[in-house]
This record gives sequence, C-alpha cells and structure tokens, in this order.
Amino acid sequence: MWKTNLKVLFVGVVVLGFYTTVARMIPQLESAVPEVLDLSAGVTPEILVPAGEGLFIGAGGCTACHGLGSRAPNLRTDHAGEGTIGERCGNRQPGMDCKEYLYESLSQPNAYLVDGFTGIMPDATRQLSDEQIWAIVAYLQDQGGEVTVTASDIQSVNSTAAAPAAPASFGTASDPMELLTQNACLGCHAINGSGPPIGPSFDGMGSRLTGEQIRRGILDPNAEVAEGFDQFAGMMPATFGQQMSAQQLETVVQFLAGRR
Amino acid sequence: MIDALGLLQGAADAARQYGDFPGIGGRGAVWITAQIHLMFAAFVLGVPMFAVITELIGIVGKDSRYDKLSKEFTRLLVFAYSATALWGVVLLFFLSTLYPAFWGHMAEIFHLSMWIYAGLFFIESFTLYLYYYGWDRWNLGRAKWGHWGLGLLLNVWGTIVMFIANGWLTYMMSPPEGTTVQGLPEGVGLWNALANATWMPINIHRLIANAVFGGAIVAAYAAYRFLAAKTDEERAHYDWMGYVGTFIAISTFIVLPFAGYYLGREIYEYNQQMGITMMGGFMSWLWIVQAILIGVLFLSANYYLWTGMGRIPGADRFMPYTKWMLLILVICWIVWGTPNTMIASRDEFAAMGGSRHPFLGVLGLMSGKNTAVNIMILTTFLSFLMYRRANKIPTVPWAKTGTLVQGAMFGLSSAAVLIIGVWGYFVPTIVRINMSVYQVFAVLACIIGVTVIDLMLVRGADSRGEIRWGAMPERSQYAIFVLAITFTWLMGLMGFARSGIRQHWHVWEVIRDTSDQAVTPALGYAANMITACVVVFLGLVAFIFWLGGLAERSSKSIGAPLMRQTQPVARTE
Repeated sequence: MWKTNLKVLFVGVVVLGFYTTVARMIPQLESAVPEVLDLSAGVTPEILVPAGEGLFIGAGGCTACHGLGSRAPNLRTDHAGEGTIGERCGNRQPGMDCKEYLYESLSQPNAYLVDGFTGIMPDATRQLSDEQIWAIVAYLQDQGGEVTVTASDIQSVNSTAAAPAAPASFGTASDPMELLTQNACLGCHAINGSGPPIGPSFDGMGSRLTGEQIRRGILDPNAEVAEGFDQFAGMMPATFGQQMSAQQLETVVQFLAGRR
Repeated sequence: MIDALGLLQGAADAARQYGDFPGIGGRGAVWITAQIHLMFAAFVLGVPMFAVITELIGIVGKDSRYDKLSKEFTRLLVFAYSATALWGVVLLFFLSTLYPAFWGHMAEIFHLSMWIYAGLFFIESFTLYLYYYGWDRWNLGRAKWGHWGLGLLLNVWGTIVMFIANGWLTYMMSPPEGTTVQGLPEGVGLWNALANATWMPINIHRLIANAVFGGAIVAAYAAYRFLAAKTDEERAHYDWMGYVGTFIAISTFIVLPFAGYYLGREIYEYNQQMGITMMGGFMSWLWIVQAILIGVLFLSANYYLWTGMGRIPGADRFMPYTKWMLLILVICWIVWGTPNTMIASRDEFAAMGGSRHPFLGVLGLMSGKNTAVNIMILTTFLSFLMYRRANKIPTVPWAKTGTLVQGAMFGLSSAAVLIIGVWGYFVPTIVRINMSVYQVFAVLACIIGVTVIDLMLVRGADSRGEIRWGAMPERSQYAIFVLAITFTWLMGLMGFARSGIRQHWHVWEVIRDTSDQAVTPALGYAANMITACVVVFLGLVAFIFWLGGLAERSSKSIGAPLMRQTQPVARTE
C-alpha cells in the first residue's frame, strides 16, 4: 500500500512541479500600481520615459495592438522600413513635429491613419490623464528618437484645459460626405460598400433607423449598442454634439436617414 | 481636546485600512484561504450534481450500482461540507481583520444578502444530512423519489448560495456605474449590485466548472480505491466509478470554453481596458500556461480512454488509429501553445526580427489556435465514440449508412474548421473573430448530430462481449490523477486571472488597493501560491477520503457481527 501511496505522491509532485516550473520560466511581468504622476515642474526625460513605459505595457493597454503587426503599426520595432516610432514620428505629417504627431495620435487617433490600418484605436484621453499621455509620448519618442517633452507641454495643456472654453469652431463644411470624413466617421463605418466594419454600415441605414434614432446614436452613442457590434460598445466618442454645429448635425442625420 | 481626539480617530481609521499577517502578508493569507474555500465549495456543489444524476439513472434504470455510487459520493460530501464551512469562516475572519475598510464597504452594500446566504447555508446543510442519513430509510417506491427530490433541493440551495457569493465577487470586477467608496448611487439597489455585468457569465461558467471539478475529484478517489483494491469485485466497481467520473468531467469540460468565451466577451463589454489587460496586457502569458494545462488534460483523457479500450472486446480494431490521433493532438497542442500577444523587450524583438517569430509566429494567431482547439475537441470526441462503439455490433438495417453519415459529419466538421481557420489569415481581425463562432457551430453540430445517430444506431445492438471492468492497467489510473491535479491547478490559475485583472483595485475603479501588496504579482509568484493551495486542498481531500474509508470500515465491522447473529435464524426458517 505504501508503494501505491508513494507512486501517487510522486505523480502529484511531478505534475505540480512541471506547472510551477513552466509558469516560473516564462517572462515574469508584474502589474505595478501606477504612480500618481506629478509632472508639473522640473520634469525630466528620466522621469517621463519609465513612467510612459509602465503605462505603455500596463494601464494604457497599448501592447494589445501595437507590436502585433496586423492590428496596428509596430512602435518599438521597425514598421515598413521606416524605423521605430521615435525615428519616424517626425516625418509622418508635414509641418507637425514628432511630439505633436504623437500627442495627436493618442488624443485624436483617427485624425491620421497609417496606410493599411483602420481606425480601431480608442481615444486615449478617455482613460488616461494628460500627464499620462505626455509620459507615453516621451516613451515613444525614446524609441529611437530624442525626448523633447518638457514640463511646459504638460502645463500648457493643463492651463488650456483650465481656461474658459473658447467659442466652438465647427468649420464651414456643409457637405455630408465632407462632414463624415472630417469627423472620422468613416474610420469605423462603411459606406458605398467599403470601409471597416467597426460600427454599423451607413449603407441602408435609413431603412433600419429613423432620423431620431440616428440623431440619438450620434449624440449619445453608448445609450444603445447596435446588434452585432457588442464588442465595440463604448468605442464611439460621445463628443460629436460638441464637434458639429446643430446645422451640420442635421445635415448628417438627414443624409444617413435618406440612405435606404 | 476634541481636535486631538479627532486626529487620533483619523490616525486609527487610516491605520485600520489594512491588517498584517506574518510571513505571507494579508494578501497571501486571503488568497490561500479564498482559493481553498473555493475549491471545497466547487467540490460540494459539483458532487451533488453528480450524485443526483447517478441516483436518477439508478432509479430509472433500476440499476443498484448507480445508487451505491451516488451514496458513496454523498458520504464524501458530509466531510467536505465541514471543510468548506471552516475555510469560509477563516476567510471571513481574514477579510474583516486584514481588509477591514474594504470589508466594511462590502458589508454596507451586501449585508442583507449575507444574512440570506448564512440562512441558506443552514438549510443546505440540513438538506444534505437528510439526503445522506435518509438514504437507506427512503429507498423504495415513492419514498425513493422523495429522497431524490431532496438531492435536487440540495442542488437548488447550493446553486443559490453560489449565485449570491458570485454576486459579491463579480461586484468587485464590474460594479454598477456611479458606485463610490460610500456606496451605491441613488436608485441602484442590492439586486443591481448582485446582478452586475459579469454575474451571469460567472454563474454559468462556475456551474459547468463545478460539474467538471466534481467529476474529476470523484474519479481520482475511484482511481485511488482501484489501486488499493484487494478483490476483483472492488477493482471492477472502482474502475467503473473512475470511468463515470472521468466521463462527466471531460464531457462537461468540452463546453466550458464556450462559457469562458461568453465571460470574456462580457468583461470586454463592461470595460475594454479590463479585457485588454486580461488577453493582451501583462496577463497574456497566462494563456500560454493555460494552453499547456488544457493540452495535458486532452492528452490524459484520451490516453485514459485508449487504455480503457484494452478491456473492451472488439476495441482492438480501433487501436491502430490511436497513434495518428495522438499525433494530431500533439500538433494541435503545440499550435495552441504558440505565443502571440506577448510583451517583449526591444532586444527580444530585435532578436526575433520582428514582433513575431519568423516561422512559428503565424501559428500564434487566433485563427491557428481556434482551429487547433476545435480539432482537439473533435479528436477527443472521436475517442469517446470509439470507446462507446468498441463492443457493439449495430443491428439496425441502416447501420452502415449511419456510420458513413457519422464519418461524413466528422469529415465535414473538420474541413469546415480547417477552411475557416486558414481563411481567417486573409481577412480583417473583426471578421476573423466573428468567424471563430462558425468553427464552434461546426464542432457542436458534429457532436450533437453524431451522438443522436449513435444513440439510435446502437439501440438493440449485439455485444462482442461485456466490458471487463477491473481489467485496467494501473498506469491508466495515474492519468486520472493527472486530470484531477490539472483541473485543480487550472482552477487556481483561472482564479488568479479573474481576480488579477482588477489589478490595484479592490473594487474596479471604486476602491483602490493602497496597501503595500497592491502590485498584481507575476505568474511565477502566482504559480507558487496556486501550487500551495492545490497541495493543501488535495492533502485535505486525501484526509477526507481516508476518513470516508474509516467510516466505511467501521460500518462494516459493526454490521458483521449482526449478520453473523442473524444468519442461523435465517437458516432455521
């Protein structure tokens, strides 16, 4: 009987030892508690970059898409022969330096889309503070480039945010297609049979929804999730009411309601 | 003076946010206690499901073996119940002394459900005692059905108890919108806090997982008794019991991934960030470990079935296929274990020449992994079918056609899984994700279709010979131990995943963990904790089994003299 007991014990030790060893052999990553960033004065790249790295691989959730090649461009390795993100960020948009480009990429991810990718990235300002976003910008600059983020960048954003809101400028666009493009709607919604299926297609929308439903969907997109798009719930910004004038909004609503 | 008292009170309040536990800290103490309590709870919820089903089979089929089996499980429950309650009480003390502020928040919101929980625990315990101790008294006719009804009630109480506790833990993951440290927002009540976004997915997942776990532990018990058996009769009984336990564990396990998919989807829907942390963030490597464990489960289950076919007359005609099935399982296992969404340093990326391995990286995509796991499920189902058909000669006139249709179903299903899998490499991510659902449908349709045909096909079939229960090589029983240990470890791992995705929040984005143990540890540390929990749990289960054996021997030794006394009387009659 003791022989049987020892054999059973041996099997137990081997199995448990195997699983424990495997789990200890793979990369050991902790999820550190994000430090409260105080970047208001005297901030240096030495402080910003590690903070940004922690956010990049942690709370920011950036690695879920960046680094895989198929969902989003690689950032820490070469992409399309253009080098790492720190090397290429200054050449992306004419007249926009690296820092501005990266900040825009995080706060308005659909403003500029890299060739071959669709606009699936959520607006980082919805989950990260401005300090955290600047820390990520600094970290990304550090991937092959020079860190130019300074305390004044952070302070200027904070002071802008604290200042009384300027009168809204909605632009002069009145053509519905122009409005859809300008507001990055086509980054997620297909039209004329093409485009990414992140949100419901605009084709035939008028036969599925009333004008009132379309208007509500634009102003309060998270109130109801379109059938079959559950996995993207919460992705559509709820800011179009502030981005468009009432007239522009009605133009878009009538345009979509007319697509039967 | 009043100000000073206020300051002292403030300091005392701050100091009592967290308590300390020697050696492993408060988190370690709560982790181990909660995990072991959960393992026992899963056992005492899973085994009654098992017991009530086997008792029903015994009543309907008039087969006393099933009744005996059911009673044997229930005897283990009586001891396991005490262990569950004891660990639950320790957990309660640890939570209230080591995390008093957090516990205060939970009690404030959930106190009514806690009282109901305690009341139900009493009712459940007494139902269990009635069910077990009334077994022999209510063993015939209507009384037997009444007894079975008690078993059913036991399951109902247990399920409600589990649902309440699930409400508490899922609240920590997905509290209602607007919840603050002070409590629930205006207009949101206890029911909303309990029935939160991840409540039902966890309920379903745990119900299935409990059946899996109960089956695996019962099979391990049978395996040990098989190895320790002194007579052929005993060996035959425990061989059969081990088979029934393993069958239930594996057949319910096959549907578990679908419940997991539902849970994952709800997590994403509640908070995308939490979902990303789970699948693509610092926990991404956890899924590789999970793949390794599930691969071991599939291999062990198939090995057990193939070995078991040695005791079935006529099974030798299927044996040549097993080596190819093994090859398929191993290849699929390797594909499933290929990392994809991983975090690596810049140097590691540079060494690989990109974010993926140049040759193997392609296997790490979900298309490859989904295909692999579906093929593994189909292969395991084929093993079950071979096992089931081994000693049967169908007599229905359409037997050949039926078998051909079954073969075609396997072929079509496998082809659909492979084609969709390969196609997935050429379409955008969102299309690929939706396509995986069709792979699942193809597999489920095959399993259901083939099973229905098989049930009709073997009705009234001739036998090539009875299964030689007990004529099982000893090594097969060790496969059952591997299954039980792996299921237990997997439970600990998934517990870490579910709890760990909250990261530094006691209650997601409501109560922050400000203790010095707020860091969510790496897998190596978690593995140590999980192994410690499994060792303690299995050690205690072994002790309970030993106690069960003692009770059995005591009842036999009390019964023996009585039988000796009554025998002469019987003769004179």
